[in-house]
Amino acid sequence: MTEPSSTEPPSPRPGFLATLVRVLLVQAIALGALALLQYRYGR
Amino acid sequence: MRWLDWVVIVAWLVFVVGDSLRRTRGTTGLTGYFLANRSLPWWAVGLSVMATQLSAITMIGTTGQGATDGLRFVQFYFGLPLAMVILGVTLVPFLHGARVFTAYEYLERRFDAKTRALTAFLFLCSRGLSCGTIIAAPAVVFAGIFGWDLRFTVALIGIPTVLYTMIGGVQAVAWADVKQMVIITGSLLAIVVVLLLRIPVTPDEALVVAGTAGRMQPFDWSFDVTKTYTVWSGLIGGTFLMLSYFGTDQSQVQRYLTAKSVAEARTSLLMSAYWKIPLQALVLLIGVLVFVFYVFNRPPMLFNPAHDARVREAEPAAYRDLQTRHEVAWGLRRQLAPAIGGRGGWAVETFRKADSALVTTRTEALALAGRVTGENSRDVNYIIPHFVRTQLPVGLAGLFIAAILAAAMSAVSAELNSLASATVIDFYRRWVRPEATDAHFLAVSRGATALWGLAACVVATYAASLGSLIEVVNRFGSFFYGSILGVFLLAMAPWARAGGAFVGLIAGMTVVGLVSFGAPQVSFLWHNVIGAVTVVLVGSVLRVGASGTVAKAGAA
Repeated sequence: MTEPSSTEPPSPRPGFLATLVRVLLVQAIALGALALLQYRYGR
Repeated sequence: MRWLDWVVIVAWLVFVVGDSLRRTRGTTGLTGYFLANRSLPWWAVGLSVMATQLSAITMIGTTGQGATDGLRFVQFYFGLPLAMVILGVTLVPFLHGARVFTAYEYLERRFDAKTRALTAFLFLCSRGLSCGTIIAAPAVVFAGIFGWDLRFTVALIGIPTVLYTMIGGVQAVAWADVKQMVIITGSLLAIVVVLLLRIPVTPDEALVVAGTAGRMQPFDWSFDVTKTYTVWSGLIGGTFLMLSYFGTDQSQVQRYLTAKSVAEARTSLLMSAYWKIPLQALVLLIGVLVFVFYVFNRPPMLFNPAHDARVREAEPAAYRDLQTRHEVAWGLRRQLAPAIGGRGGWAVETFRKADSALVTTRTEALALAGRVTGENSRDVNYIIPHFVRTQLPVGLAGLFIAAILAAAMSAVSAELNSLASATVIDFYRRWVRPEATDAHFLAVSRGATALWGLAACVVATYAASLGSLIEVVNRFGSFFYGSILGVFLLAMAPWARAGGAFVGLIAGMTVVGLVSFGAPQVSFLWHNVIGAVTVVLVGSVLRVGASGTVAKAGAA
């Protein structure tokens, strides 16, 4: 646990990219399912 | 309404109020009342965040939108996952680490008192009225569909909500939200099962019917700022809107300030990042399946029974003519529906023409209803309640109505709690009685919750006559949403100063107001981008005034 000093500018935290990739992967699955629905039924 | 449905509704209300109050013993100080002593687990906070965003409008309006417009609306949420990840590394550690009660409190530390006061005041104005409209929306619909007295429904939602929010504070709100998300999700899944059993074709054929009628197009790739829902407005405008809503709106910020740590606060937001789009797609899909149900079963021309009766009485000839055309178009569409399994061909084209004729007839009927009643019928909000009343089996109808009440209560309770926190922390403790005791502030906070609850119920009761005022406030609200996000973005920039932030906030709201009136065709989702960018630009150029603490971010 580290506590940045009160005047330290914000910086991306460790784990940001990993979280981003994980969220994007799950969204890719959800949006992929929606895209499949549009491809199969929405034309 | 049958007695078993009433048993389900009453049992639910008693359980929510009773259990929420039971869990709040020990809420003795202001930190307990507004922040749950920063003790809640991530999953409870995450469900509370989702429940706060999901109101009765979602249950009745969004499902109705799915029936009339298909899956398109899901694009509105495309920016949410990205916004949650960004907030997890920016504002969440800043606000949680700063040990503040309200988001606006942090702005005084960073900039000055007037920036804090203005942002908190804007929040109180917009949320104060929206609280009333959240109660009014289901109350108006239930009055129309079930014949319940409007004041009865307002009391049914308002009294238990004010009771547990006032006594138990944020802990009661959060634990009630957890239960409410469970009943909401359960009832949504149950209604899907009922629909699949009631539709006389296979799920695949049902979706073919929906797709043929244009209800299965969740993606619109056109880059057109005048269209409300496109992939781009959802991804860009939606990201800014969600950043603003989850990052700067006290009704949401207060949820994750109750988490045990920054890491748990961040994880609670990720729950929405993972589940919001699938949940919203499910809500819209229910609407789509209701549409298919009414392809095979005769729908009313107008779902709002009060408007239907008034049009029938005032314009009998016009009503009969429209009704006849509606019947003919529905009959043809019904006849062709089983035959459109294949792609293309005569059946598909004729089905689409019949569907289009049905839509035209309904549009004309809605316009006629508008002329006769002088009201916007909002007929789309009556589609699902009509289905619930006429088609759901006994007990399940009660469960779904309880879920609609739960959705309203979860949204209202969070807003009441956050309105009380901004009133007491940002105004009363800051300007009126800074030296008072914790017990005094706790009593004032309970009083503020009760007063805001009373105001919400009064607004809800008179929502119909306050309609134009509420629209003005909602429109005004859209002017400052993105601008407030801009101020918080500036707060994280080391070069920003108080004077620049305040002037930037005014400039952002002015520019959005000018765009709103000068180019009303620009979709409101883009207003958030315009507001935030203007504030950041003005605040970055104008470096005047004091600079407080840049950041006091908590560690993960």
